[in-house]
Amino acid sequence: MTAPALEVVPFGDAAVLVRIAVAGGIEGARRARAVANAIESVRAAQAAIGEPVPAAGTVLVPFDPLALTTEQAAALIEPALRLAADDTSPGSAGSHHEIAVRYGGEDGPDLEAVAAETGLTPRDVVDLHAGTTYEVLFLGFAPGFAYLGELPEALRLPRLATPRPRVPAGSVAIAGAMTAVYAHPSPGGWRLLGRTDAAVFDAASSAAARLRPGDRVRFVPVR
Amino acid sequence: MIPGEAQPPALEILDPGLLLSVQDTGRPGFARLGVTRGGAADWWSLAIANLLVGNQPAAAALEATILGPGVRALRTITLGLAGTMPARVRGMSRPVEPGATITLAVGDVLELGPATGARGYLAVPGGIDVPLVLGSRSTALGASFGGLEGRALRAGDRLVAADPGRALPPIGWPGAPAPEPVDAAHPLRVVPGPDARDLGAALEALTSSSWTVSPTSDRVGLRLEGPPVQRGRALELATHGVVEGAVQVPPDGRPIVLGVDHQPTGGYPVAAVVITADLPRLGQLAPGAEVRFELTDTATARSALAAANDVFEQARSDLREAARWDDLWRDVGR
Repeated sequence: MTAPALEVVPFGDAAVLVRIAVAGGIEGARRARAVANAIESVRAAQAAIGEPVPAAGTVLVPFDPLALTTEQAAALIEPALRLAADDTSPGSAGSHHEIAVRYGGEDGPDLEAVAAETGLTPRDVVDLHAGTTYEVLFLGFAPGFAYLGELPEALRLPRLATPRPRVPAGSVAIAGAMTAVYAHPSPGGWRLLGRTDAAVFDAASSAAARLRPGDRVRFVPVR
Repeated sequence: MIPGEAQPPALEILDPGLLLSVQDTGRPGFARLGVTRGGAADWWSLAIANLLVGNQPAAAALEATILGPGVRALRTITLGLAGTMPARVRGMSRPVEPGATITLAVGDVLELGPATGARGYLAVPGGIDVPLVLGSRSTALGASFGGLEGRALRAGDRLVAADPGRALPPIGWPGAPAPEPVDAAHPLRVVPGPDARDLGAALEALTSSSWTVSPTSDRVGLRLEGPPVQRGRALELATHGVVEGAVQVPPDGRPIVLGVDHQPTGGYPVAAVVITADLPRLGQLAPGAEVRFELTDTATARSALAAANDVFEQARSDLREAARWDDLWRDVGR
């Protein structure tokens, strides 16, 4: 496979955004993770480069603007980009998690609507959602909030037109090609299929986030 | 006093004002776990409050918001005040302006006034003693960890100072105690954002209008009210990492400036980014404030930051000098 085109654009005076020119999804997330890991090794010798933030096909790289110009920062990470951007391997095998979910009812207020919009029965929606092994693509949005992919095609719907002001902690939700567990109560526009009692974030533990990039996740229906 | 030994509380919160929390310079390095840096919204003023009481600039202090809190001294203690809130010791007629120390006797009540900007900082000797969580004492208000029990402070809370008995001279910060206010004549400086090109005329719209900070603004972000910004080519971007000061343009065209507690990733296109030197000024913007943006380039942004850094270091060195003279005079008088 040929190396995808890479674009490094300034993001303010203290960061650059590396765009890995592929669609999001698993491949983009894997490439971004490989690039972020390669930048981590550059950081070992370059304290002025900050912690890279991989997401869906992009990596944000902060740097110390008193120590480096944007051009210097871009030049420092360039070798890492060339080395890693082609890497779509899942990386080292992460942990496997099973998360028990109560689907539907008060715990999953959008299950019926998702079934109606996708032309499936609620039971089919649960079977499809729980029948897939997901990869932790990246974390973002909130502490411990893991973007899991990819959702079966039949379940892909846009976000709610009007986000809920408050989504309860533990809500298991879908949007686009992703699914996730809300670690904390927060506003949110994802569609809620169910809820879990599993804690996905604990700041007091050394690991903090239970789901790490590259881990595998399966949801297990309970009632 | 043996360092690390448990101290009795030094301050009691009588009234938290609008929002009072423990903040330091935040927890960098955890964005990959979804944890944003957070910390003081105006790190410049935090540093000044800390230096006034002999702390490292990044020590944990109190961040007060818009309407000032009231605190009672549970022991004799000297506090450092910076930011944009004046203070007054109850029963005394003379207010204390930001950029000064205040020594309280047991039972004294200190009331911080309404902010002329958005935030006041109150530092205690040694810093506020709360547990380190993921390398910081900052309160992560959204995710409820750090600070005191992961929450905003309330009446009745008692706070421990790590080194409350440190003898400190009454001293003033030899420079501005807060960043330069943002107003029509002093705009926030921005550089073009990563999506400026795809957003068409959005950047020009942003820099040619006057904006008002909406009441729904907080530490996560400032919503701006003004003429809606056209987004040019409609953009739906995959979630990407974002920085404090990023000016996002959501579908409704009402810009959002990401604050210190922003989510580590976001999906709205970014038209502009506030320069690093102006982030403390962003942290002093309150609802109702008028904001203008001025376009600059990264070279100017860098020199502005270097200049601000020089001003700060000069004042820091002057403060050390003043403290040394104060010590000398005290020794002479002995």
